[in-house]
Amino acid sequence: MASRAPTSVSVLGILRATSCRPAAALKLQRFYHSYEYTQPPPFQPAESAILSASISHVPSYGFTLNALTLGACDAGYLDVSTNLLPRGVFDLVNYHLVMQRLALKDTVQFPTEGGQGRSSSIGAKIRALTLARLHANRPVIHRWQEALAIMAQPSYVPASLDELAQLADEIWFLAGDKSVDSSWYTKRASLSAVYSATEVFMTQDTSKDFVETEKFLDARLEDAIKVGGFLGAVSGWVDYTGHSALNVLRNKGVRI
Amino acid sequence: MNGQASRILLRRQFLEGGRTRVSRGSERGFSCSVRRYAQQQQPGPGPERKSTQTTHFGFETVAEGVKEQRVGAVFSSVAASYDTMNDLMSLGIHRLWKDHFVRNLNPGRNPLTAPPSSTSTPPAPQGWNILDIAGGTGDIAFRLLDHASTINHDAHTTVTVADINPDMLAEGRKRALSSPYARTSRLSFVEANAESLTTIPSSSIDLYTVAFGIRNFTHKDAALREAYRVLKPGGVFACLEFSKVNSPLFDAVYKRWSFAAIPLIGQLVAGDRDSYQYLVESIERFPSQTEFRDMIKVAGFLVPGKGWEDLTGGIAAIHKGVKPM
Repeated sequence: MASRAPTSVSVLGILRATSCRPAAALKLQRFYHSYEYTQPPPFQPAESAILSASISHVPSYGFTLNALTLGACDAGYLDVSTNLLPRGVFDLVNYHLVMQRLALKDTVQFPTEGGQGRSSSIGAKIRALTLARLHANRPVIHRWQEALAIMAQPSYVPASLDELAQLADEIWFLAGDKSVDSSWYTKRASLSAVYSATEVFMTQDTSKDFVETEKFLDARLEDAIKVGGFLGAVSGWVDYTGHSALNVLRNKGVRI
Repeated sequence: MNGQASRILLRRQFLEGGRTRVSRGSERGFSCSVRRYAQQQQPGPGPERKSTQTTHFGFETVAEGVKEQRVGAVFSSVAASYDTMNDLMSLGIHRLWKDHFVRNLNPGRNPLTAPPSSTSTPPAPQGWNILDIAGGTGDIAFRLLDHASTINHDAHTTVTVADINPDMLAEGRKRALSSPYARTSRLSFVEANAESLTTIPSSSIDLYTVAFGIRNFTHKDAALREAYRVLKPGGVFACLEFSKVNSPLFDAVYKRWSFAAIPLIGQLVAGDRDSYQYLVESIERFPSQTEFRDMIKVAGFLVPGKGWEDLTGGIAAIHKGVKPM
């Protein structure tokens, strides 16, 4: 009898532990978009404090440790506190990328469907969103080549590509694309290529208000549509010819 | 002449080894030699039974009070040959780990960033106040000071080397004489127990480093709490320590090396097998990366990213924690 009491307590403990689990799981980061739950903030409060203060030093100090150290001092931390960021300057670049990606949904607003006039096409929305994201680089554009160099360091390439893929996904999602076939992949891949090419072009663009960049983007988007149309035509031709050949062979008595 | 003398010495050590092997008789296993030493120290199992709190010393379980003395004995014995042994055991890689550890911490106030913050707040200290725990031989301390002076051009950063073992501190003082910091106020040596740093005021340290030391502490959690106390808000706890190897294949090779070769090298070079046997056993007993990360979190620190960085496939790892504001 005396020995049963502790076991019942431990069973209760286990039950309590399992019943707690779903609540904890709700707080986890999701790998899909949920309309019901808001995503947790992408950075811890302390990291966020240092990084947001550092970003304001980027225009004058670039994406460097100096900017990070100054940011840490501004946020009330010590020089040594930059050790909170395990990847150093890449964390600063990454902060800029993530914050600008998340800001897209608030900076670009489209007239709701069913309102006055017809809503703009998906192509026009893609263009507007991509341009808005490019313009978010304007305050740091003279330092952006440094950031590109940091992102191109071998150990940071996977993280950089992942962030690019997430940006392409965000733009297609916000544009209202609901494709569920293989074009899901080709759309994101081609937009990633267009975006990164335009981003590099923009670092050397000296025209007023970056009109050259805008032209460049339009040309690349057109190319992508052409290539997409061409690939679609090719696949249609392959499909048709393949079926025809198969039927010809069947007519000749081959059992396929 | 000298060579002959050392050869004789070596032969004597071998003879001694043989003699102990004979006297050991039926005992087998890794830690029997250390156990023999323990039996000499304690007349019987009586006092060990009496104390309820026990901890591990290598693969043995000993009373908490005993561990400190025995770790002390180990390090007093290896102090003189510490560097030679480290080079032989790690094939020189320990130097790379220590360099990487210090370079990543980037000690020293950058003069480019210092003026704007120090002019606005009058009593701002000019350099970092670094505490190097268990750094008796000064390995890490010299590197920290070198980095601060040559990379960040900071001539004010100070390092306090604290160690519980006077023999290790003596070795460090001896080495400091040949460094540029010998008679400056930038380097000081203190004999202190990391679990109660009574001489160091709270919230006074920018950077707390401990390299290959925390493994030997009797109460690691108490040491972490003490680190939390002495650090300024925003200060960093940084620990370089042996850890768990990630790949099972590499782990098998590494275990072979550490349990077979290291005590043997210890016997041949330092003439002390038992101490090096303890070293490899204590490495084996140290918590894994995730466990130690969680211990740092429990002490109240924020951990950067996943909380640690593996070196050479996880043979060693750097753990960091930042004291929140």
